[in-house]
Amino acid sequence: MARMKFICDAERCIECNGCVTACKNEHDVPWGVNRRRVVTLNDGIVGAERSISVACMHCSDAPCQAVCPVNCFYKTEDGVVLHDKDLCIGCGYCFYACPFGAPQFPQAGAFGLRGKMDKCTFCAGGPEKDNSKAEIEKYGRNRLSEGKLPACAEMCSTKALLAGDGDVLSDIYRERVMRRGRGGDLWGHATAYGRPDTKPAGAALPTAPAVAQPAAQKS
Amino acid sequence: MLLSACGEQPQTIAAKPGQSAAKEGDKPYNNDLFKNDKNAWQLQLRARADHQNEYKRVN
Repeated sequence: MARMKFICDAERCIECNGCVTACKNEHDVPWGVNRRRVVTLNDGIVGAERSISVACMHCSDAPCQAVCPVNCFYKTEDGVVLHDKDLCIGCGYCFYACPFGAPQFPQAGAFGLRGKMDKCTFCAGGPEKDNSKAEIEKYGRNRLSEGKLPACAEMCSTKALLAGDGDVLSDIYRERVMRRGRGGDLWGHATAYGRPDTKPAGAALPTAPAVAQPAAQKS
Repeated sequence: MLLSACGEQPQTIAAKPGQSAAKEGDKPYNNDLFKNDKNAWQLQLRARADHQNEYKRVN
């Protein structure tokens, strides 16, 4: 059985935001809601700058699902975490629980009133009839039912962002790391897919290179 | 006006703890394209995922 996962290779991401644009365009995501975004760490530090494309990682043991007071989340047989917008009350608990900041809330009215939660669906739609008008309006396009992978990953020009069956992704990434001989750490992977009894490893990003201090001026 | 309070709907949560209250979604392979053939759908997705490996694609 397939187990859908995302992998973002920080060694390859060039912060082009192609994935963000692809997602926005594919699902007609409203203004102010970002199902996917690119985060840059060590910005401006030569040799240590790394970018990562972040969205819902469809965790093995999803914390959003655990805290939802109306139990509107569910997991498909392929491991995709989805939710029912007809049940969501927009409380925001999932936003606080998510380690990736994936749940997004559109502004539904005045005074900061929140609408129903919106997040990455792994391009798998939601609990409506596949590719129906209701599904497209609420959740966006259902590419998985067309035999396609998420638009963000398929659009990625450097193939930093990979999506699909976890086994296939592992093979691709293993080969990649073997060839380049470095960069085997996957940001967020242990948090999203690690076993509950193991402590998730922190993001192993390279530290900033030592900058040569200017020689002390002679007085 | 007086009867307006009589139309109040129950607001209790139907979901049981630990169980999703969401509607049952369609299977992604249960459509005209894959005709409920899960294996064909998985093979298609696997081929797509494998296509992300540029080492295989180029060499």
